[in-house]
This record gives sequence, C-alpha cells and structure tokens, in this order.
Amino acid sequence: MSTEHDHGHDFPPMSSVKRWFVTTNHKDIGILYTITALFFLLLGGMLAMLMRVQLWEPGATILSEGAYNQAVSAHGLIMIFWFISPFAFGFANYIVPLQIGADDLAFPRLNAMSYWAYLFSGLLFIVSFFQGGTFSGGWTMYAPLNVPTYMPNIGGTTVVLALIMFVAAVTMGSVNFITTIYRMRAPGLRMRDLPMFSMSILLTVWMMLFAFAALLAALMILGAQHLVGVNYFNVDGGSLLWTHLFWFFGHPEVYIVFFPALGVMAEVFQTFTGRRLVGRKWFVLSMVLVALQSFIVWMHHMFLTGINLEIKTLFMVTTIGISLPFDLMVFSLIYTMIKGRIRYTTPFLFCLGALVLFIIGGITGVFLGAVVLDYEFRGTYWVVAHFHYVMFAGGTALIGGLYYWFPKITGKMYDEFLGKAQFALFFVGFNLLYFPMFSAWETPRRVFVYETGLAFWHKVATVGGFLLGLSVLVMLYNLFKSLAVGEEVGDNPWEYATSAEWAVSSPPPLENFPGIPDYRGGKLSFLDESDLTADGGTATDGGTAETSAATGTGTATGGALATAEQALATEVVESEPEHADHASYWPVVVCFAGFLAFLGLSGVREGGFYPWLAIAGGLLSAVGFVGLAQESFHAPEPGFAEQWPFEGVENMKLGMWTFLGSDIVLFGGFIGSYLFLRVANGWMHWHEAFIPEEHVVMPGLINTYLLLASSFAVVLALVAAERNSSRGVIASLTATWLLGVGFLVNKAIEWEHLFHIHTEAFPEGWALGTNVASSTFYLTTGLHAAHVIVGLIMLMYMIPRAMRGAYLGENQDSLEYFGLYWHFVDIVWLFLFPLFYIL
Amino acid sequence: MARTKLYTAIFVVLMVFSTTQALVEMTGLLEEAYWVAFGLIIALSTIKAVFVAGYYQHLRWEPRAVTYLALGGVFVALALTTAAAYSIL
Ligand code: HEM
Ligand SMILES: [Cu+2]
Repeated sequence: MSTEHDHGHDFPPMSSVKRWFVTTNHKDIGILYTITALFFLLLGGMLAMLMRVQLWEPGATILSEGAYNQAVSAHGLIMIFWFISPFAFGFANYIVPLQIGADDLAFPRLNAMSYWAYLFSGLLFIVSFFQGGTFSGGWTMYAPLNVPTYMPNIGGTTVVLALIMFVAAVTMGSVNFITTIYRMRAPGLRMRDLPMFSMSILLTVWMMLFAFAALLAALMILGAQHLVGVNYFNVDGGSLLWTHLFWFFGHPEVYIVFFPALGVMAEVFQTFTGRRLVGRKWFVLSMVLVALQSFIVWMHHMFLTGINLEIKTLFMVTTIGISLPFDLMVFSLIYTMIKGRIRYTTPFLFCLGALVLFIIGGITGVFLGAVVLDYEFRGTYWVVAHFHYVMFAGGTALIGGLYYWFPKITGKMYDEFLGKAQFALFFVGFNLLYFPMFSAWETPRRVFVYETGLAFWHKVATVGGFLLGLSVLVMLYNLFKSLAVGEEVGDNPWEYATSAEWAVSSPPPLENFPGIPDYRGGKLSFLDESDLTADGGTATDGGTAETSAATGTGTATGGALATAEQALATEVVESEPEHADHASYWPVVVCFAGFLAFLGLSGVREGGFYPWLAIAGGLLSAVGFVGLAQESFHAPEPGFAEQWPFEGVENMKLGMWTFLGSDIVLFGGFIGSYLFLRVANGWMHWHEAFIPEEHVVMPGLINTYLLLASSFAVVLALVAAERNSSRGVIASLTATWLLGVGFLVNKAIEWEHLFHIHTEAFPEGWALGTNVASSTFYLTTGLHAAHVIVGLIMLMYMIPRAMRGAYLGENQDSLEYFGLYWHFVDIVWLFLFPLFYIL
Repeated sequence: MARTKLYTAIFVVLMVFSTTQALVEMTGLLEEAYWVAFGLIIALSTIKAVFVAGYYQHLRWEPRAVTYLALGGVFVALALTTAAAYSIL
C-alpha cells in the first residue's frame, strides 16, 4: 500500500525540504516552532551578552548609547514575544492533540499560517536592525518615546508592524487551540480530566485571545500614528493611555508566559514522582482563578503614574489576591514531591529548579506589589531581577519540557550525563547572573552608568551570564548529538508517564493513533475504526515511522495488526472524500506576502522602493488568499468526540465566534481609547474645542440605516437558502453587497467634506491629524470601515458561487458564518454611531 | 415562515430605535439633560445589539456557552474601558 497517495496531495517525507514548506501537520508545525524559538533564544541571548559586557564596569563604551538602548529593547521584545511563548507552543502543537486524542488541530492550514506569520514577523524584526536602527524605547514601548517624533527611524516603525504580525499569529493559534480542545477530545475525555499540560495550554490561549487583542489595538493605533500621523499617544493623557493598553495586555502576558511552564512542571512532577498531582482539582481551580484575575491587576505597573489613589489601593488588593492561588499551586507541587518517589532525571531537575526560582521571583514580586515599596523599587534592577526570576523560571521549566518530550518527538534518548551537567551549569549561572541584581538593586534599569560601588555585583552577574549562555550551548550539543547517535526509545521511556502521547510510538505516526482513541472505559483504549465508521483510514508518516508494537497497556491492538487493518480500511474508503489533507503551499505564500507588505509599509513615507514593495505584497497576498479558498483541503471533524460545552456548534462556527470574541476586545480597545482620551481632555469640552459644526448626525444615521438593512438582507439570504431558493440567495447577497458599498460611498462623501472644510475654527480642514477628536473619529470608524471592506470582499467571492448554486439547503453553513461576521460589524456600528455622532 | 416575520419585526424595531437616537439629539434633549440622554441612547444601542446578537446571530438557539464566550469579550472590553477612565477621574 502506498502510504502517500491517499492524502490527496502527495505528501513528501520528513527528509524532503519541500515537506517543511507545505506541511500542515501539527507535529511538523510543533517542530518548526521549537526550532525557530530556539533560534530566537540565541539571538536574544547574544544581545544580552552584549549588554553584560557593557555592564562589566560602569559607563563602559563598547556599545554606543543608542546601540545599548536598541540592545535592551530588542532583547526584551525578542525574548518575550519571539522566544518564550513560541517555545511553549512548539510543545503545545506537538503534544496537545496527542494528549486529547485528536489527529490534528481543528484548522491545520490556519495552524501553518500561524507558524509562518510568527516566523516572518521575526524576520521583519531582524530587518529593522538594518533600517537605521531598531526600536529603542524598551520592551514596554512607553509613550511618548514610541511616537515618530522621538522614534523617527524606519526600524522603529518596522518593529511595531512586526509585532502586529506576531499578534496575528497568536490570534490564529488561539482560535485554533480553543476550537480543538473543546471540540476534538476523544470520547470520554471530560474537560476536567484534561491532562495538565493541555489544561494549562487551554487557559493560556484563553488569556491570549483577549489580552493580545488589547495589545493589537495599542499597536494598530501606534502604527497609525507612525504611518498616517494620527494624534493619540502624544496628546493630553496619551502617555497614560499607552500604559493602560500595554499593561492590560502585559499582566496577563506574564501568566501567558508562565502557564505552559506550570503545565510542564505538573506533568514532569507527576511522571518522575510516580504520583498524581496532589490536590489536582484545586490546582486546576487556582489556575482558572489566576487566569480570570490576571485581567484585573494591570495597574500595579502604574503605581508611579498619575492615576488616583483609590484605584491604586484597589489594584494593590487585587494583586495580593492573585498571589494566593499561586501559593496553593506551589504547595501542591511540593506535596507531590513529598508524597511520591522522586527520580532525578534531567527534566525533573529543571522543573524542580524552576520551582525554586519561581518562589524567589514570587516573593520579590510581593515587595513590588505594595504601593509604598514600589515607590523605591520602580525603575531599578530589583524589577529586572524579579521578572527574570519569574519569567525565566518559566523558561527553565520549558527546557525541562524539551528534555521530557525529546524522546517522544525524535525517538531518541538524550544524553543523561550531559543533561545533568547542563542543569548544574544553568542553575549556577542563573543565580550568579540574577541574584546579585537584588544586591545591586540601586542600579537604574536600562542604563549602563551606575555607582562604582556596585561594580562587583555586576561583574559577578556578567560571569553568571556567560555560564548560562554556555549551558545553552551544552544543551544544543546534547540534543544534536543524541539525534544522531542517541539510544532508540519505545513508546514510553518514562514508565509512569500516563498521558496519551506516551501510548503511541516515538515519534508518533502521521495520523497519531492506531484507531479511535477512547476514554469511556475509564482509561485510554483504541477502537477499531471499522466498528464505528468508515471515516477514512489512517496512514503512517511518509513511510519513515513504523507503527509501534503494542501501545501502552495492552488495550490497543498490536501495531502490525492495526496497520493491516488500516490498509484494508484505506482500500475501502479510497474513493471517499472524507480524507485528511496535509499539504498546502498557500500559508507560507500568504505570510511571505504579508512580510513584503509590512516591510513596504514601514518605509512608505520615504518613498523609493518601499511603496512598490507594499503593493507587491498586497497583490501576492490576494493571490494567496484566492489560492487558499480555491484549494481542496479537507480536515474532517471527528465522527466521535467529546464536545462539551460546544456540542452542535461546528468547528468553523466555534472558530468564528472565538475570533469575534477577540475582535470585540480589539474594538473595545479602540473605543476605550477614545473614551479615555475624551475624559482626559474634558468630556464636555471635547465638542466645543475639537469638533467642527459640519460634523453632523445625518451621515451617521443614514449609514446606520444602510448597515441595518444589509444585515437584514443577510438574514433573508439564509431564509432563502433554507427554502432552496437560489434566486433568493443571490438577490439577498447582492442587496447586502450594494448596501455595504452604499455605506462606504456615503462615508467617503462625508470624510471628503470634513477633510476640506474651511471655517474659522478649522481653516485647514478637519483631517486625520488635526486634533485628538478627529484622530479618534477617523481611526475608529476607519477600523470599522476596514471590517466592512473585508466583508464585501468575501461577498464578491460568495455571490458568483451562489450563482453556481452553492449554499442551498444543507450547504448553507458558509453563509451562516459570513452572517455572524457581518452582523458583528453591524453591532459595532450600533455603538460607534451614537458615540461618534450624537454624544 | 414565522421566523421571517420575527426577523422583519426586529428589523423594524432596529430602524425605529436608531431614528429615536437621532431624535434625542435633534429635539434638544441632549442639551437639556445630557446624562439622561446619554443613558437613554446607550441603553437603546444595547437593546439593539442584544436583538441582533440574539436573533440575527441566533445566539438564542445556540448552546449557552457561545453566549458566554461573546460576553467574555464584552466583559474584558468593559473592564479595560471603565477602569482606565475611572483611574483619571
Ligand atoms: C506573586 C506574584 C507577583 C507579584 C505580586 C508581582 C508584582 C509585580 C509588580 C508590582 C511589578 C511592577 C514593578 C515595577 O515596575 O515597579 C512587576 C513587574 C514585573 N513582573 Fe511581576 N509579580 C508577580 C509575579 C510575576 C510573574 C509570575 C511574572 C512572569 C512570569 C512576572 C513578570 C513581571 C515582569 C516581566 C515585570 C516587569 C515589567 C516591566 O518591564 O516593567 N511577575 N511584578
Ligand atoms: Cu503585573
């Protein structure tokens, strides 16, 4: 039997370079994420080494001031965005589907897109170094330093755009994981029984979905300030607005970074103590609580700003509140160790080390959480030490995870001696590097001039930094060497590991399981496919991986038998369309196009070749999207799955709703910014000072009518589809399109008029950059208009299809998903209309 | 068919509410009692949004969890907006 030709496209083996460009398989994508993240670790690490060398003595001049600022900022941004979370999502991609018993993520091509967007956003960042210097305002990008006046080089703009692209990658990933974990669990796997790592990833992506949407709002506004000159972060209240938006994202972000690490720690502790996590239920509950609370503590990063005392006190209380569940988790991990019998393997050592580091980091964080103490510590090396102890404790646990899953992913065992040696180097280096920073805490943060009395501590730290760097090289050597000559491992080299990834061969076959995974018997077993359905046969990975012999506890059929059975099943269903595809070129094309477009935008004000680059990128992405839409790509929904609480909500629908959830927060960020600036500039004063008489209600009201009518037309389209009336569908969709176009035309007339008014108050017209009111008006309604345009483009794809008889009867799903989007855009306008036209 | 009637009725309500919002400004109520008018207008928008989400996006007939998902987004957006604005009052 050919294992390849039943994938529709011929899917190249892992040894082929082509495979890595076209793959959509979650395991491949996981490997790509992991390797890319490690690359960014080295890049960020090199920048850190530069800084440590500069700090060897106070006021050294190895780097110029500007170069040092760039190094600090780029180091922070790269480590936080391009290293640590993607590193965790390498594992998440590889392991989560295996743990929950799915054969892939819900949207494989979206997953590939997410990876490529991540990679290209990182490349965009790297390009920024060569555009007159990269962003140099710190990873928090505080205003007003971040605005073009103070950050005029193109590289600064490029970083903002790179971050926007990165957020796009994150959002695609979040939507995908949420849909997958809710809708594709093996039968019998209840939500509360999710393995700890999958549980931690689920909570992480929930936080990501909302937190990154707020960041996206901040970045889009900042990008607009750079590209089209709106006024936001440079006006009264603007700096404070940035801190709000940034930290509203930023605090959840620290848990987004840490949660996957917690999940790894829980798994590793269970495996190497041979015990279930003590108080597992409470552990999970604490995580849920922390995830919720993480959205209501952000102002503890703003204790030194002008926010009022009541709110500072409130946020001090919520901050203390959020440390309590963490205590519980820490104790649960400690008790698990006490109750179990520990095996000191490399993964365990790293996770234990992570726990120790995290406790130190947590305690020093409590100091910062107290308003009074923070007045002292803010902006010093105390903060630097604190967040490295917590964040990099997460990194430490993830390195443990790398050792833990390395045998599963590669089929080879790493070198235990080298692993332990690395741990020793790492742990000593880590503490030599960061602990002295508590002693030298009076050093101002992000500055390389400090009191000479502190030089000793900084020398120690630099030595520690190099040890830490060396340990990473030892790790890479170990992993490379083991890949070549490591001992082959079976399904489960860890004996007590219980989650489902250990019940399949190492590495697992392309379609993961030798049958349909099933937990209904109380433990994992694999059902024979032919018993249940003819839902496509499975095939092994390009012929490289052999389906292993008996999986796990003898519940599954022997590998050979399973393979034979699959061969039969494949034979039978060969001709059926219900077959998973694995290859698509389009994700990498679309993301490369995005890269070109953003690169072009970054320098569009300069002219030259930049505008052409932007146009080329735009055109190529149009080609890419059409390619995606036209391609036949099939990712079947599982016939049998545990889907609480989203039974009956198809994957696409849940995906759409999840995306809309993040879009709500994006608009929330824009509307919130408008309200904030209006409060800051005097709510009532706003109209008198900033808005011309010519800005009247009527155009807004007309547009409200148009949009409501277009929504109604979509509803009618669905009714017509139900009645199998092709003409009804076509007519309704066309009406929707025309009304949408009418909306845009009306808006264009209105804007054109306002741009060119000549009144006493506004002799130069009321344009984007005129004042804060015009900026908020054009940008917020402009974002909405962009949503309308996207909808119209979708319609231009759908109407011709409707003419060929699509969407009728049973096939109305796409119509419905489009409707969800369109009505959402309508709802947003229902609020923009009064906020920007009446009140 | 009954659904079509329902959808049409909702459409009419949406149009009427929107017109009312504009009238609040035109009749000068906004000038006289700004915050009353403000409350009224936002309440009307909220009701409209609930109608569109509940019926046009048929959240009414979906599992409750979908509604909670959307409300999660709304809650996050409101937390950001209100707390940020309050912090500088
Ligand atoms: C007991 C729990 C924690 C408390 C009470 C706490 C408190 C704080 C406070 C008040 C600050 C602001 C300090 C200042 O800028 O003046 C801060 C900074 C920071 N914390 Fe924590 N923290 C905790 C846990 C964590 C965790 C778990 C992480 C990450 C995994 C983390 C990452 C950070 C980072 C990155 C910063 C610096 C942000 C910057 O660049 O300004 N913290 N922490
Ligand atoms: Cu925080």
